[in-house]
Amino acid sequence: MKISKKTKNDIILVAVILLIAAAGLLVANLTRLEGNMVLVKIDGNVTQSYSLYENRTVDIVTGDNNEFMNTLVIEDGKAYMSDADCPDKICKEHRPISYSGETIVCLPHRIVIEITAENSVPDLDAVA
Amino acid sequence: MKKQFLRFTALLLSFAMIFLMSSCQKETPKLKYTAHYFDYFDTATTITGYTETKEEFDAVCEEIKGLLNEYHRLFNIYTRYEGLNNLVTINEVRDGVHQTVKVDEKIIDMLTFSKEMYEKTNGKVNVAMGSVLRIWHNYRTWGLDDPDTAELPDMEKLREAEKHTDINDVIIDKENSTVLLADPEMLLDVGAIAKGYSVEKVAQNLESKGITSFILNVGGNIRTIGLNGENKPFKAGIENPDKENEETPYIEFVELSDNSIVTSGSYQRFYTVNGVNYHHIIDPETLMPGKKYNSVSVITPDSGMGDALSTALFLMDEAEGKALIESIENTEAMWVLPDGTQVYSSGFENHTFEYQTD
Repeated sequence: MKISKKTKNDIILVAVILLIAAAGLLVANLTRLEGNMVLVKIDGNVTQSYSLYENRTVDIVTGDNNEFMNTLVIEDGKAYMSDADCPDKICKEHRPISYSGETIVCLPHRIVIEITAENSVPDLDAVA
Repeated sequence: MKKQFLRFTALLLSFAMIFLMSSCQKETPKLKYTAHYFDYFDTATTITGYTETKEEFDAVCEEIKGLLNEYHRLFNIYTRYEGLNNLVTINEVRDGVHQTVKVDEKIIDMLTFSKEMYEKTNGKVNVAMGSVLRIWHNYRTWGLDDPDTAELPDMEKLREAEKHTDINDVIIDKENSTVLLADPEMLLDVGAIAKGYSVEKVAQNLESKGITSFILNVGGNIRTIGLNGENKPFKAGIENPDKENEETPYIEFVELSDNSIVTSGSYQRFYTVNGVNYHHIIDPETLMPGKKYNSVSVITPDSGMGDALSTALFLMDEAEGKALIESIENTEAMWVLPDGTQVYSSGFENHTFEYQTD
């Protein structure tokens, strides 16, 4: 079958449009997957936020006279509390978190460590 | 000329489509917000809601806070509040006996519900077991404060306290809205019921106002209202009771809409004596922490029921527990045995789903 020049041009046009569409979608998706963040909330308010993919150790100081301290470690895409001077140490016992929606709570010091992200899997609404 | 115009139009339309496709793909009219509170039922509260504006979310949260605070004060067994008769008041002893105490209707309703749960769970959930639970509470608090001197309660003392746990001695007078504990040594402890019951009442209150797309999570007592912001069920993970296992933090994922899930686990609240963990769910027969399972999760529409049932199942033989669950409508359970095996009620797996990770 002989393809006329005009038909050929049409095919090229369609191909180019499809390519642009694919590229557009890709860019849109990539910019949305900006990566998981670790939020530090004290008494319900976000005080700090860090990328889950940059290793670091953070001291979280709380209390009216800055008398309490928890140590948050972000390591290899996971966050955990390495130390805490609260009485129950439940936060310290908590396994490292990495999924969006996961939290570590230190009740005595009113701290919540939370993982957030867009389009991440699994994205949990709650943990039972 | 005409053809060129057509091509130009086609190109324009295509670009319009690309634009629409990339912006339409994630059309979320409602945004997800969360709030945390630390002052209710000695645990952390997380509210998750999908609303159009932050103001809308905050307004609902204020409502929730007010209600939780009210229930927290009424059902408190440790703290007394000026001008309020709560469970502390009922537990008080004056002149060697408990007094008849006039209380809020909410306390009457909760205690009536507790008696129903006693019947339903064959006595596994007994709010009149405070005398026994108080001893465990004191030893646990002491053991957590000073782990080196942690001890187990004396069984003779526990057996002595057990003599004062007859639920028929909780005299509820609905008409006059009063409660009397007829046994002077008796104490109420609503730890296995009050949290879930309160969450349920708060949820029902919100539902009556037409509020939807919210989750109340009070220390793992989860109650969902409506669907999430994308009109799909909410997703919850069930924690692996083996806390050391970092590979599998969640042993199951479940979808919930207008439903609740409550997990009772040996890993949740415990203290350690000579290297052995002793948790807080005390068997009314052995007066020791239940040993049959690592955790039990219950899915049921009423979170108060879920709270009581998860405790009861945790203490029941598998066969007895299964028979109980199968006898209650729209209610499912999952047991995690000490070796990690998961056992399901007949319809539990209708609620679970697989996460396609990567």
